[in-house]
Amino acid sequence: MLQCIFLLSDSGEVLLEKQLTGHRVDRAICDWLWDQILTQGESLKLVPVIASPTHYLFQVVREGITFLACTQVEMPPLMAIEFLCRVADVLSNYLDGLNEDVIKDNFVIVYELLDEMIDNGFPLTTEPNILREMLAPPNIVSKVLSIVTGSTSNVSNTLPGATASCVPWRKTDLKHATNEVYVDLVEEMDATINRDGNLVKCEIYGEVQVNSNLSGLPDLTLSFANPSIFNDVSFHPCVRLRPWEANQILSFVPPDGQFTLMSYRVMKLKSTPIYSIDNIAVQFRLPPCVASSDLSSNYGAVNVLVDKTCSWTIGRMPKDKAPSMSGTLVLETGMERLHVFPTFQVGFRIMGVALSGLKIDKLDLKNPLSRPHKGFRALTRGGEFQVRS
Amino acid sequence: MAPPAQSHRSPSPSQPSGKGEVSDLKTQLRQLAGSRAPGTDDTKRDLFKKVISYMTIGIDVSSVFSEMVMCSATSDIVLKKMCYLYVGNYAKHNPDLALLTINFLQRDCKDEDPMIRGLALRSLCSLGVANLVEYLVGPLGNGLKDGNSYVRMVAAVGVLKLYHLSASTCLDADFPPLLKQLMLKDKDAQVVANCLTSLQEIWSLEASTSEEAARERETLLSKPVVYYFLNRMKEFSEWAQCIVLELVSKYVPMDTEEIFDIMNLLEDRLHHANGAVVLATIKVFLHMTLSMTDVHQQVYERIKAPLLTLVSSGSPEQSYAVLSHLHLLVMRAPYIFSSDYKHFYCQYNEPFYVKKLKLEMLTAVANESNTYEIVTELCEYVANVDIPMARESIRAVGKIALQQYDVNAIVDRLLQFLEMEKEHVTAETLVLVKDLLRKYPQWSHDCIAVVGNISSKNVQEPKAKAALIWMLGEYAQDMQDSPYILEGLVENWDEEDSAEVRLHLLTAVVKCFLRRAPETQKALGDALAAGVTDFHQDVHDRAFLYYRLLKYDVSVAERIVNPPKQAVSVFADTQSSEMKDRIFDEFNSLSVVYQKAQFLQPSYMFTDKEHRGPFAFSEELGNLSIGTEPSDAAVAAQRVEANDKDLLLGTSEKEEGHGYGSNGSAYSAPSYNASTTAGASQAHFDLVSIDQPSTVHPPVSFAIDDLLGLGMPSAPSSVPSTLQLNAKASIDANAFQQKWRQQPISLSQETSIDPRGVAGMMNPQALPQHMQGHSINCIASGGQAPKFKFFFFAQKEDGSSAYLVECIINSSSCKVQLKIKADEQATSQAFSELFQSALSKFGSA
Repeated sequence: MLQCIFLLSDSGEVLLEKQLTGHRVDRAICDWLWDQILTQGESLKLVPVIASPTHYLFQVVREGITFLACTQVEMPPLMAIEFLCRVADVLSNYLDGLNEDVIKDNFVIVYELLDEMIDNGFPLTTEPNILREMLAPPNIVSKVLSIVTGSTSNVSNTLPGATASCVPWRKTDLKHATNEVYVDLVEEMDATINRDGNLVKCEIYGEVQVNSNLSGLPDLTLSFANPSIFNDVSFHPCVRLRPWEANQILSFVPPDGQFTLMSYRVMKLKSTPIYSIDNIAVQFRLPPCVASSDLSSNYGAVNVLVDKTCSWTIGRMPKDKAPSMSGTLVLETGMERLHVFPTFQVGFRIMGVALSGLKIDKLDLKNPLSRPHKGFRALTRGGEFQVRS
Repeated sequence: MAPPAQSHRSPSPSQPSGKGEVSDLKTQLRQLAGSRAPGTDDTKRDLFKKVISYMTIGIDVSSVFSEMVMCSATSDIVLKKMCYLYVGNYAKHNPDLALLTINFLQRDCKDEDPMIRGLALRSLCSLGVANLVEYLVGPLGNGLKDGNSYVRMVAAVGVLKLYHLSASTCLDADFPPLLKQLMLKDKDAQVVANCLTSLQEIWSLEASTSEEAARERETLLSKPVVYYFLNRMKEFSEWAQCIVLELVSKYVPMDTEEIFDIMNLLEDRLHHANGAVVLATIKVFLHMTLSMTDVHQQVYERIKAPLLTLVSSGSPEQSYAVLSHLHLLVMRAPYIFSSDYKHFYCQYNEPFYVKKLKLEMLTAVANESNTYEIVTELCEYVANVDIPMARESIRAVGKIALQQYDVNAIVDRLLQFLEMEKEHVTAETLVLVKDLLRKYPQWSHDCIAVVGNISSKNVQEPKAKAALIWMLGEYAQDMQDSPYILEGLVENWDEEDSAEVRLHLLTAVVKCFLRRAPETQKALGDALAAGVTDFHQDVHDRAFLYYRLLKYDVSVAERIVNPPKQAVSVFADTQSSEMKDRIFDEFNSLSVVYQKAQFLQPSYMFTDKEHRGPFAFSEELGNLSIGTEPSDAAVAAQRVEANDKDLLLGTSEKEEGHGYGSNGSAYSAPSYNASTTAGASQAHFDLVSIDQPSTVHPPVSFAIDDLLGLGMPSAPSSVPSTLQLNAKASIDANAFQQKWRQQPISLSQETSIDPRGVAGMMNPQALPQHMQGHSINCIASGGQAPKFKFFFFAQKEDGSSAYLVECIINSSSCKVQLKIKADEQATSQAFSELFQSALSKFGSA
């Protein structure tokens, strides 16, 4: 299926090349792609599937690194794209972030990871927990350890036990001194508001993010007070689907560490009390016919860049006044009035509130060795929140 | 915009050839080779890293091959891995040196650590040196029997690698039966999945030469095997699930009960977080229910939510890929998505190609209940800064207007666009207003009032100019200044670069002359004079035609140029439904995604089934690529040839398909496809009505178009009369069914039926009897008002081609959907015309 994977820097330099099959893919394909990007513009970087004269190319760009995969045969496109996304996630997780230097410094581990993630072009495992069992990440602990013990290998001596266990995303004999599990509801609000202040469209996309540090093989159940609000849901493979279908209960053996248990969409919003909105920022672009502008606000900072992008940082909503921005725009000569009006993109953060109104009812641990510490949080962010003028 | 030409980073060690460094490395490695001093591994590690990093940046370090191999004696697994990596990279091109590595790799294959065994085996199989294959057989055989699943998993894929290197060695060692055993027994799901991928590929490639392999390939799709995989579904990793689901989508269940069982079992896969799994599941559902209309529709309803969730949950790349699939489904069944239109609203900062997909979906789902809101939303985009987006949005509004019954509000909006005084908006809107007037002549009054206010000087784009001129001619009575504006345009004849505009100008002046002769006489004289000396052949010819017509008899000219017009009811679609069907066949394949991106048409497009799936992976594909070394020509030659043919067929069919879209349909209006000059063919159509005053015969009108060489650049000409059908053709229902299943749709069209014919539908036997009179036999029929479905069969006189037709008649809308399958694809168009002509006579006789 996939014949080759390249990692490219943001200047088009090949950082890494991993041939996956006997059908070698020449590096020249990277030059071809880069030429296309130079001639057709940066937006080509956003196109996930490109048909080059010799290969189909898949690309995913993360932190300036282009993850490029090539094939000459038909295959499910999502398989390639999802896989590249996972590669990016796993690398970023292993290397504590992604950038050119990190990859150049750790290219051996990148090769090792790719070796375990894909064989002969078919993805094998992308589950971070399993990979961590096979290859220890190059973190400080293992560095210290290697100096102290003199052992320099980052490869664990055993093969992952999980592959043989019934829960492939978890190893069997985990031990944590702190027995704790945290559940976060993280929501993004997408909304479009027209110039009359009416809501054109609104939707919440949310995730239930879990950070689990539990020993043994914990079996958890999580239930919501109002599961009927979901328009659609999708789950981490660890979730058992029967209990959900029968009673809308999430029953699962969690992977270790941070993961997304579930994601959901909610289209109808109930009014939820909001106490404080934070991190408010408004961004918009002045129409091209504006020659110059002089904008100021009674609260927060206004900043206009050369490309006519304008950002107004408000931060926390003040209690005593409504922030407003005013000023004058000078149009280019010959223009009598403004023909096009900007769209304002609003970013914000609401701590402690899931705007969808979703509430967690309870989280139970079926086979507790000791009572774990449980924590719950909620957060809503502005996603694609835009106001038209 | 453009990235910096070269990185400003510290110069990499790569510059320029690194020759000195490489020879240094060589010496250092050599010194270390035999050393057992403590700390040697650390030094080796640094050196190996250097070698690999050179290799990574593209410096040729093959010259240190023997030194690397000499240093390979180590127990350090990272060193081993680097060594494997190095060897894997260079062995293929240094087969002699590769022999050196066999020894240590084989030794590692017997290591006590399963991870080393696995890694060594993987490297051994990846060497890619054909004359070393004999060394693979032993370790592979042991690997398949290894006690550790990691090693078995590697071995299962290794067999496939060996097969690609030397099929005979792989088969002689009896590896495929071993794989099959493992596949059906192994505890470890990943081993099972790897066996499946290897076997699928091996047996598919062998199937052409070996009957046994063909049988084995069939067994993979047999009920017990498919059920075995389905029952273990949850054990598989998400990626293996995709592969299994792909297999299941090819399985043909015995009956509907089985279909429901499978769908129930797989239903929860739709909740998977991995988009690849969800799409693979959807593909299974769609394929299994293709022939069950009701259930198929339920499937659409069911998969809607997961697809929408995937679009909002993933990264932009994932979203776009899913959106492309959604687009495919929306275009196929827009009514199912009509309440979800808000999902297709564009976000301000989305890239253009995403917005374009969404606009197409918005256009498709518009119906009576949501049109107002959709058009309101589209108007927002028209006022947008982004010019291409504004244009697309106007077109979308126009398309919606053309597909709606109540266009009142839309026409108002379009006319408002004209008042925005933006050149691109005006231009785009004019083209649409013209199309709109052809469909809804009753709006002419309102439109003309606004259009009359537009100064022709503000309209520069040829398409828009042509539209404006068409309106000036067509509505000469209603537009006060029409003759004078036309006169002004004729005066600037020489400055007009576009032949299309000049053609329109000629026609408009003549039309205007026929209505307001005194005022137009000067313009007409000037236009004809300029026209007959025009260097453009078509303009020249048309000027002469008008000149002679007018000279011959003005009343004849009147009838030809200005006949009473029928409102156009349906415009030919720009994308033929055949193309859509075809792509739909390829749900969850690449063509769905890149078709929308439209950058380059690749020369290696795999449109037909044989080239899809993992099977297609064979050497001949390499031949199509640039810079890949030729494969063993002798073995592959035959396959290459066959392949090339198929590929060629694939592309030419595609073009033909497009041709049909713009030409072959029986609509009584020319398409407004970019390549067609709409007004021009309209005029020709008018000509025909003189030639054959009694019956309107659309296909002939197009034949005339071809004669005149106008408007239809690449369309294949079809001569309906040459196709004779065998009056005695017959086929039994089973044979028909089988044939129907096997053949691809060669033509899919929408047409309409005479309302009198619909009345005849009350008697279920009437249509079959009528068609039999035209040598087209009905095989099966069914349905009830308003929807009837028929299957017809016909055969060419000489028996060389059979035609199978699925014909769905909607008696309330008088619409007919045709799907035609033919042995001889080339004649399917001719057959379709024959069929439609027979159908059109139904009820009128």
